[in-house]
Amino acid sequence: MSLRIALAQLAPRLGALDDNLRRHHELLAAARDRAAGLVVFPELGLTGYLLQDLASEVAMRLDDPRLAALAGATRDLSAVVSFVEESADHRLFIAAALLEDGEIRHVHRKLFLPTYGLFDERRFFAAGDVLRAVPSRLGVGVGLAICEDFWHLGVPQLLALDGAQLLINPSSSPGRDLAATNEVGLGTATSWRILMRTYAQLTGSFVVFCNRVGVDESISFWGGSEVIGPSGEPLFSAPLFDEDLYIVDVELADVRRERIALPLLRDERLELQARELARIVAERAGLVPDATAEAGAEPGLDLEPAEPAREPIGFTARRR
Amino acid sequence: MARIAAVPSPIPVDDRGRPAFEIPSELAIDTDVARRVIGEFIRSQLRQAGFERCVLGLSGGIDSALVAYLLAEAIGGERLLAVLMPYRTSSPASRTDAQAVVAALSCASELVEITPMVDGYFGRDAEPGAAGREALEASPVRRGNFMARMRMSILYDRSVTFGGLVVGTGNKTEGLIGYTTLFGDSASAFNPIGDLYKSQVRQLALALGVPAAILAKAPSADLWPDQTDELEGGFNYEELDRILYWRIDRRRSVDEVVARGFDRTTVERVDGLVARSEFKRQMPAVAKLGPRTAGVDYLYPRRRPGSART
Repeated sequence: MSLRIALAQLAPRLGALDDNLRRHHELLAAARDRAAGLVVFPELGLTGYLLQDLASEVAMRLDDPRLAALAGATRDLSAVVSFVEESADHRLFIAAALLEDGEIRHVHRKLFLPTYGLFDERRFFAAGDVLRAVPSRLGVGVGLAICEDFWHLGVPQLLALDGAQLLINPSSSPGRDLAATNEVGLGTATSWRILMRTYAQLTGSFVVFCNRVGVDESISFWGGSEVIGPSGEPLFSAPLFDEDLYIVDVELADVRRERIALPLLRDERLELQARELARIVAERAGLVPDATAEAGAEPGLDLEPAEPAREPIGFTARRR
Repeated sequence: MARIAAVPSPIPVDDRGRPAFEIPSELAIDTDVARRVIGEFIRSQLRQAGFERCVLGLSGGIDSALVAYLLAEAIGGERLLAVLMPYRTSSPASRTDAQAVVAALSCASELVEITPMVDGYFGRDAEPGAAGREALEASPVRRGNFMARMRMSILYDRSVTFGGLVVGTGNKTEGLIGYTTLFGDSASAFNPIGDLYKSQVRQLALALGVPAAILAKAPSADLWPDQTDELEGGFNYEELDRILYWRIDRRRSVDEVVARGFDRTTVERVDGLVARSEFKRQMPAVAKLGPRTAGVDYLYPRRRPGSART
C-alpha cells in the first residue's frame, strides 16, 4: 500500500491567524490536486511560533468553526495541523490535530515545553498529559509528537508500542550553530537527523518531520523536513530554508518487512521498563531507599549534607 | 553525507606581506548557510515592519562593508542608502574604501560631514562651542562617543528622508566586550551580523568579495588618528574571539579556558569587560509599579500583527 505524503514546509505569519488559515486551505487544495493522502503542516503553522502574550489572542477551542472548516477540507484526506488550543478551563496548549474525512480524529497536546536556552514555552503554555497512538484512514496507526516531544526517548517508543507505524512530528525548530564542521552547516539539523534516523530504525516506523521556515524576530527556522523509512533510511530531505510543498511517496508495507527482519519492537520488555520506572519514581519521591544515593542522605535526596561547622543555635538537629 | 564548504577567497596580506588575519578553526562557519539565514532575516525584518529600503552608515571598515554587501545581496543595491559621515580627522583612506563599496554595490550614497556638529559642541581652535570652555579639553572617549551619537542622529534622520530602516553594523565581539557607544553605533532597527565574531565577519566578508583593502587593514573605530581596536584594547581579535567563544558560546570556566592555553590574566580581563558592559546589551531598567510592564510581564513580539508601517 503506497502513501503519498505532502510536507507543507511553510513560513507562518506571526499572530496572523486568518492569513495562515487561508494558506492552509490553499496548501490542502494543492496537496489534494497532487493526489496526496497525508498532508503535514509544521508546529504552530496556524499562528507562528514566537507568540509570547499573543498566545491567548490566537487560541482556538476544539469547537471553533475555523477548525471545523479546516477539517471539512479533508474528505478522503488526512492532515496534521498545529495551533494554540484553549481548553474549556482556559489552559493554552501547543496542539496538533489529525484531521480526516471531515472531522478532528485526534488531538495531541505538546508534552515537553522547552524552557531553556532560546526557548520560553512553559511561561506561556500548559503541557499535555496524554500520549496515544490512534488508528487512521491510512490503514496504519498514527502517533503525533510535537517538536521537543521527540527530544525525549520515551515518546517515539511509547507511540510505537501503542500501535503507531507512522510517527509524525510537526516542528518549529530554530536553526543555530553554523559551525563549518556540521553535516549541512547547521548544528540543529545534524542533531535532528541523527535522532530521527535512530527512532525510525529502533521503532521500525516511518518518521515524518515537517519543520517550518521563515523568521520570527531574531529566530530563523531551518525547514529541512524529512521522511525516514522504517529501516532508518532517509527517503526524502527537503531543502533548508525553502518554502514549498514537498511530495514524497512511501510504501507502508515496508514497516511489516522491517519489523519482521529486525524485531526490536517485538523484543521490548515492557514489564521490565514499567517495573524499573516505578522503582525510580518511588526513589525520587523518597518512598523507598535509593541505591545510588549517599548512605546518610534524606529520602528523596541523593547527598548527605556536610557536617555543620558548629552546633546549630536554638534547636537540636535530629538525624534520621 | 559529508559536505565540503565552499573554498573561500585567499586571506589578503597586510603591508608587510603577511596574512592580515587568521580564522580560528573553532570559529569557522558555513558561509553559504550564513548568507541564506541572514538574507531571509533581512527580508523578513523589512517585510514585517512594512519597509522596503535600508539605511546604513558606511565607515570604510569591514563590519559596515560586510553589512552593505549582505543588504545588497538580500534586497538589491538600489534599495540601500549608504551614508558616509566623516569627521575632519577621519582617515582619508576610510572614505576611499567606503566609496569603493558604494561603487561595487551601485547603491545610493550621501556624504554628511559631522565636523560642524562635533566642533559646534566641543569648540575648535580655542573657540568654545555649545558645551563651553571646559569642553575644549574633552577626552578622546567623550569626543568619540559624541561622534557615534551624531552619526546615529543622522542615520535616523536619513531613515525618514530615504524611507528605510537603519541597519546595525556592530559585531558580536565588540558587543560582548562593550566596545560600542550606547545609543550610538549600537542603535539600529535590526542587526544582521551582531551574532558573528570578528573572525566570522572576516570569513563571511571574504566569501562575499568585500574589497581586499578593507579586509587587510587594521580594525579601527577611526575616532582619532592612528587609533586601532587592537592597540586600544591590547588584544588581537583572534585571541579575543576564541576566549569569548569558549567562555560564552561553549560555557567553559575560566580554568578550562586557561587549560586550553590562554593567558589567565587575559581571560580574566575579558571576563571583566563582558560583565562591565552588560548594561549596553539590554534595554534600560524601568521601575516596576503597575500591573503590567513592558519587557517584564507585557511581552509581545515587536513584529506583532498591526505593527507594520502602512
